[in-house]
Amino acid sequence: MSKRLVIAWRLAILVAVVLLWEFLPQIDWLSARVTFLDPFFISSPSGIAERMWQLASGADGSVMIWPYVLRTLGATLVGTAIGVLLGMLMGLLLSSSKPFADVLGFYINALNSVPRIALIPVIILLAGVNFTTSVVSGVLVVFFLAFFNAYEGGTRVPAAVLHNATIMGASRRKILTEIRFRYVMLWTFAAIPNAIAFGLLMVVASELLSGAPGIGQLMLLATSNLDASLTFAVVVFLSVIGTGMLAIAERAKGRILHWADDL
Amino acid sequence: MERSSPRCEGAVAVAPADARPGSDAVVELTDVTYAYSNGFEAIKDLSLTIARGTVTSIVGPSGCGKTTVLKLISGLDRPSAGRIETDFVAGDTAQPVSMVFQQDTLLPWLRVKDNVALYYRFHPKRLPKAELKERVTELLAMVGLEKFAEAYPAQLSGGMRRRVAFLAGVAPQPELLLLDEPFSAVDEPTRIQIHQQVKETIARLGMTVVLVTHDLAEAISLSDNVVILTAGPGRVAHVHPIELDRTRPLLQLRETPEYLQCYGQLWSRLSHQINLATFGRAEVGTADLP
Repeated sequence: MSKRLVIAWRLAILVAVVLLWEFLPQIDWLSARVTFLDPFFISSPSGIAERMWQLASGADGSVMIWPYVLRTLGATLVGTAIGVLLGMLMGLLLSSSKPFADVLGFYINALNSVPRIALIPVIILLAGVNFTTSVVSGVLVVFFLAFFNAYEGGTRVPAAVLHNATIMGASRRKILTEIRFRYVMLWTFAAIPNAIAFGLLMVVASELLSGAPGIGQLMLLATSNLDASLTFAVVVFLSVIGTGMLAIAERAKGRILHWADDL
Repeated sequence: MERSSPRCEGAVAVAPADARPGSDAVVELTDVTYAYSNGFEAIKDLSLTIARGTVTSIVGPSGCGKTTVLKLISGLDRPSAGRIETDFVAGDTAQPVSMVFQQDTLLPWLRVKDNVALYYRFHPKRLPKAELKERVTELLAMVGLEKFAEAYPAQLSGGMRRRVAFLAGVAPQPELLLLDEPFSAVDEPTRIQIHQQVKETIARLGMTVVLVTHDLAEAISLSDNVVILTAGPGRVAHVHPIELDRTRPLLQLRETPEYLQCYGQLWSRLSHQINLATFGRAEVGTADLP
């Protein structure tokens, strides 16, 4: 399919969904019988657009979304950065030392199987309802994602590359910094778009659970007020932010790893 | 082991096992055995002398321990029994041995020029930057890659990558260069071109080279001696000196009767070993083939 046709189809689907969403609930016979076509629950694209405009501009005495967006974005970026860095270092350490991998790998696998979202209440108890809780929640998921990728990269250094360096008389430190670390970095960078997506997910989840300031808190507010328009408006903002961050991360990855042919 | 006149038509013995490496020997293996931890012997009682300034090719049936010999010489592995003596002239600051592997060893994040200079990333003080730059440029020119100095490995063809890997082995100017089937994955026309460039580079730098290959044409084109190993566990079956006109371009050389005769003799020796390995006897008829 040509690129234009693909875009045309995407647009057509979007327009169809918006039109159906807007006009189906206006048929009283339908909205009275089908819950998910009741405007009270699903609002309408025009209602959501209006609410989004209010959130963006602060019109009609509405709360502005930007401070919330900044909080969530900030927590996601800080959480992802810390998680990626820690995961990368741990991946480097374990992939370059078998004893470490044998001992610590067991615990990392065990911890990874804990549903992290269940730990958010513990973090709230420890850190309180604040920015730190959101950041730590992000780190909890991103760390493992980055670690497993980094470890994979570190253990996948081709044997011939290591032998070559050994014959050339490279010290252990040089092999670690000039070779293994680069493979670890390559594999970790490849995971950054995913890391950001999961970081955002956990930050919003922690805000939803704790009521810490951020987009999650706004959502909590919207649902507790049974305000469907506000809920959907926030969801749309969130997806735009997520998509934007992913696009930037993908571009950055492409830039940084421009020499790699298989990513 | 057979003994005969030191010409291509015959085989000669390698140096006696009790000889010390003299000024003419860079490496000497004496009754070397290498066994894996499960007891499987890759080579057994192998004795071989590599004379300074020569190119020696090692060929043999698959699984005869060719690569093991290189790993032992390079120090990557230690022999289970026997002696390996080396006599390197240069001091501590020079690189005694380099190895070019069959597998890709280029680092994908480094440009071609930096891959060629990889050794000096590990030992930055051993050559001033300006001199290194000059050497890399000169080396790249030898194999016609001067225009690709700034490229990344992913932007090169398979043949170009092999040439860069070869240069990375040559750049430290080792006394002994080990080549482990470095051009086996390259198509035939490219390979002949690479052989020509490799031959000229080796001659210019005057290195001692040990080449493991399964390509007899490659062995004859590049070497002074071709060593044929027995089936695994490998021992030296024959050593053939190659005395062909080295000044001729390889493409021409490969059409001469001397070359063809030499190829025929080596093939007959090698197929003898392959038949012994596969069928347990030297003479094999068409009825034996699947």
